[in-house]
Amino acid sequence: METTSLDRPGPARPTRAGLSQLLNLLRPSFTRHRLRLAVGLTALLVVDFLQLIIPRIIKHGVDGLAALTISRDDLLRLAVLVIAIALAVAGLRFVWRYLIIGFSRLLEESLRNRIFSHLLKMDAPFFERHTPGDLMAHSSNDLAAVQMACGMGVVAAADALVMSVATIIFMLHIHVELTLLALLPMPFLAWFTRILAGRLHHRFTTVQEQFSLLTEFSRSAVISIRLIKAYTMERFQTAQLDRLGRQYVKSNIAVAVIQGLISPIATLAGNLGMLIILFVGGRLVITGVLTMGDFVAFISYLAMLVWPMMAIGWVANIVQRGLTSLNRIHHLLISQSALPDIADSGEPPLVRPSFSLRNLTFRYAPDLPPALDAIDLEIGPGIHGITGRTGSGKSTLCRLLARLYPVPDGRVLFGDRDVNTLAPAFVRSHIAYVGQEPILFSDTVAANIALGRPEATEEEIVEAARSAAIDDEIRDLPDGYATLVGERGVKLSGGQRQRLALARALLCNRPVLVIDDGLSAVDVATEHEVFAGLRQRFAGRTVLIVSNRIKMLSLTDRIVVLDEGRIVCAGGHDELLAASTLYRSMYDKQMRPQADEKGAAG
Amino acid sequence: MKDFGYDEDGRAGSLSDIRIWGRILRYSTRHWPALTGAVLLSFFVTGGTLALPALLQRGIDGYITATDLDGAARLAGLGTTSLWYGLLVILVFATTFVQTIVLEWIGQSIMHRIRQDLFAHVLRLDLQFFNDHPTGRLVTRLTNDIQNMYEMFTSVMVTLFNEMVRLLGILVLLFLMNVELALLMTIFVPLSALITILFARLARACFRAIRHQLVRLNSFLQEAISGMSILQLFGREGKSRREFEDLSHGYLQRTLSLIRLFGTFMPMTEFMSSLATALILWYGGGEIIRSRLTLGELVAFISYMRLFFQPLRELSQKYSIVQSAMASAERIFQLLDTGSRIAEPDQPIARPAAIRGELRFDKVRFSYDQHQPVLHDLSLTLRPGQAVALVGTTGSGKTTLVNLLLRFYEPQAGAITIDGMNIARLALADLRTIVGVVLQDVLILQDSLLANIVMNSGRSRQEVEEILARTGMARFVGRLPRGLDTLIGEGGHELSSGEKQLLAFARVLCRAPAILVLDEATAAIDTESENILEEAIADSFRGRTSLVIAHRLSTIRRADHIIAMRHGRIVEQGSHDELMAAGGYYADLVAMDRHNGNGE
Repeated sequence: METTSLDRPGPARPTRAGLSQLLNLLRPSFTRHRLRLAVGLTALLVVDFLQLIIPRIIKHGVDGLAALTISRDDLLRLAVLVIAIALAVAGLRFVWRYLIIGFSRLLEESLRNRIFSHLLKMDAPFFERHTPGDLMAHSSNDLAAVQMACGMGVVAAADALVMSVATIIFMLHIHVELTLLALLPMPFLAWFTRILAGRLHHRFTTVQEQFSLLTEFSRSAVISIRLIKAYTMERFQTAQLDRLGRQYVKSNIAVAVIQGLISPIATLAGNLGMLIILFVGGRLVITGVLTMGDFVAFISYLAMLVWPMMAIGWVANIVQRGLTSLNRIHHLLISQSALPDIADSGEPPLVRPSFSLRNLTFRYAPDLPPALDAIDLEIGPGIHGITGRTGSGKSTLCRLLARLYPVPDGRVLFGDRDVNTLAPAFVRSHIAYVGQEPILFSDTVAANIALGRPEATEEEIVEAARSAAIDDEIRDLPDGYATLVGERGVKLSGGQRQRLALARALLCNRPVLVIDDGLSAVDVATEHEVFAGLRQRFAGRTVLIVSNRIKMLSLTDRIVVLDEGRIVCAGGHDELLAASTLYRSMYDKQMRPQADEKGAAG
Repeated sequence: MKDFGYDEDGRAGSLSDIRIWGRILRYSTRHWPALTGAVLLSFFVTGGTLALPALLQRGIDGYITATDLDGAARLAGLGTTSLWYGLLVILVFATTFVQTIVLEWIGQSIMHRIRQDLFAHVLRLDLQFFNDHPTGRLVTRLTNDIQNMYEMFTSVMVTLFNEMVRLLGILVLLFLMNVELALLMTIFVPLSALITILFARLARACFRAIRHQLVRLNSFLQEAISGMSILQLFGREGKSRREFEDLSHGYLQRTLSLIRLFGTFMPMTEFMSSLATALILWYGGGEIIRSRLTLGELVAFISYMRLFFQPLRELSQKYSIVQSAMASAERIFQLLDTGSRIAEPDQPIARPAAIRGELRFDKVRFSYDQHQPVLHDLSLTLRPGQAVALVGTTGSGKTTLVNLLLRFYEPQAGAITIDGMNIARLALADLRTIVGVVLQDVLILQDSLLANIVMNSGRSRQEVEEILARTGMARFVGRLPRGLDTLIGEGGHELSSGEKQLLAFARVLCRAPAILVLDEATAAIDTESENILEEAIADSFRGRTSLVIAHRLSTIRRADHIIAMRHGRIVEQGSHDELMAAGGYYADLVAMDRHNGNGE
């Protein structure tokens, strides 16, 4: 038997893709903005060069003063030169910052849009493999790391490289041995910075995670305040927060230990170099090998080297982190939807579409038992009820029809054609779908209803709401149809959300309506009223209703009873009462109290 | 950092509010030895940092350029100076490190204290308060606002203090060396203060715009990811993509304007530093020519100048942090000052050893908003051991009755008594252990099932097992993979809604309440859980006063007495049979239910 399965790799670390593959992700942006980058880097280099000039001017002045060969006019001229150079430096710094850091933001934007476009094409299994939290992390943390590496990383790398090479050359030019000696602490500084920055990042992540825990704990305490008070758990909760808080304090101190080392170590390295210059350089001046001006310039150059050395360690980290993030983004972008990648050919929609399932077996994962097992079913015009216990495959069936999961070839036909030969969007465009968990977006009520038909008129929206028996309640909301719902808007009850989702589906006016237990939180009277409307409206079209309410099922044309992925029985309500023990027991369970009732009430 | 989108368009706090500083200081007092130590260390670090260039100057002027001394003496002097220099370098390094850690520890401890105080305080507030304040805002107080204050603690204490001391120290040294040159340098202080304030103001607005846009972008993304199947089913891909790209582009524009702002202001300090160097070179050079300054002093001046601008830059960076921290501190203290409207009694009645369980509502009147009455002079008596079911449509006042019984709210008139004791005279903790309530929603701790049942009731494992066995709920535990040791909550085994109801019930039974209040879940639960629950309810009714907001016919039928409520009044009461025979409101409710749910 043919079965389909979805590979479900564990949350294991993605393997590292080749460097060239990763850089391919960045290449378009680098190519497109090459002029911007070239100008920015040039500005950066000119700044570095100009900065090196300033100590030379000071040296010139100090030497002149030591030899008493310099006039006050000469000094003024030197001072003006320093100011002019400083002005140029400030201007050029603006230029490189805007061009290079701006470039990294442009790159970030294009990568972000690319990730989102990709997500829009992914199938349901993909969203089960990746939690929303993970995907959000890709577009926030990972993008930030890449942006950092391509912005400040590029700047710091270019800057540090040029600055240190040029500074060292200048120093070597003055005195070779003294340079080598003064530079002795610098490689250690770079090495330490690299190690510490890596640790810092790691520990900082822990702090952030614990901060999230604190936030989550506080949030759940606030929303559960009735429970906490009812069970007199105030102290208990405070003690729990105390535990979390203490851990948080501990991790923060762990971060502080590193942070408390990084910057003093730079000072230490600089000061040690200074010490060497003082001792060795001083001797050289005393023995007449070095001029006083050379000595002062040396000190200035050394001060200039501290930052590039730290930067080298820092850049190594940033680049490493950026590459790791880029690797994750790469893995995200190469993941493929298991659904056929067929573009919508634009052919006109079918008027009376029907689905045929031919011996369809489906598993969510190879090691799981089949969610649907050898299903043969025709779903044409008419009202079809589907019922069965939790986990019997009702929702799976709906999701497969809506092309959210891949199916094996030849098992699901849509209007006599294998769905795998059709664009998923084409099949979906025939289905108005109401899911179990109604999903509303942060927008107005009207926009939520018009999700599938943004061009719908107000009358159409109201009409759909009325058919879903939600119109009155919408009008009672503070701003009626313009009321914001979703995370930051008005809270709606489960039943109201479900009816909004139904209105959304009805507005689309598509030939197939699928209600996957989408009215479970609606009271039975309203459900009944809505259903009566649907019967009329969808006469001659296809309606598929998943429900566990016998009352509801008895109004459908045909009921399919599923159990452990198999069709155990199908037929009309009365037929099933006679033929299916499962259906009969559901009926008994739901009708029993009332049967008792009759007995008691006489 | 994950900020959960809570972000207040806060105003900047006033830096001069003495009372706030006073309260912050009060929190700091318990750490005074460590604080004193840190301040002393700070003076040491500053002194050390400033002594280094002085030593350098001494090396240059005293030995390197001192041509009047002989070579050997110059070399020996240089050696000693270098040794001191090296020692000082290492000492400065060590003290800086120790001071950072000490201050971090103090800041963290104080924040922890404030958080604990605030949390305990918030939990004591009345429910009306929680209705009036959005969850997000309260969470922000407990997390982000405290974080803001912490940033200030470390910034204020570590940086501001250190840098102020250093700045002053440098100025003093400069004045000692050369008054005129030093005066010339002081013009940079107001200049950089001006630039700082301007920059802080602009950057604040810019950062806020960026954060705001990022929250929008991330919420959109989050919604799109969790609602992806809906977007695909309704063919929204194109429109979503365009909306996302618009948001993304808005974010880009805002970050670019921040870059422009930084690009303008960041090079300014460096520019001022160069400007100062040029001034020293020109003016100081002139002074040397006029022999009023030594070469060593000039070199030292240039070195100090570099040190001088570092604190200025730091101070400007911390300015905005302190501003927002003050705003946060103000909000936190305001919350701490908010009192609960439900007061503990001044002299609570001692909890009697045995509670008979007579519960009486005497002419209780209540409204949530002072306008719309929810209960109208409602009177009701439950005899000890009686099981009473409350029925009625949504909004009839059933839940309010429970809220008042637990003293979540205070009635505007009338009294509620247990065995003749007014509940307002009982300690809240006593009241809430006498009355055990099963609410519809369940708070699940990320822990084992056992810990979730026991919570703070102090029951042993054996006792829990006995209770579960007696009430038939052992079956529910048996269904879970590892029984009582099954981990539940986030990341653990997920309970079905029926199982959650059972957990809530088991919790209350472990507390052996004299009076049981049950708010039955409206939503359907799976058949097996329902069977277990029915049995447990039947068992717990025995010999215990019970008040049930009932939705299941089976529960109603088990009650001794049924009370039908409508619009905050009791319209009918009696046994099921009596009420059915009377053919009034209750009979209508049953008929409606039959028609809706179970009709044929």
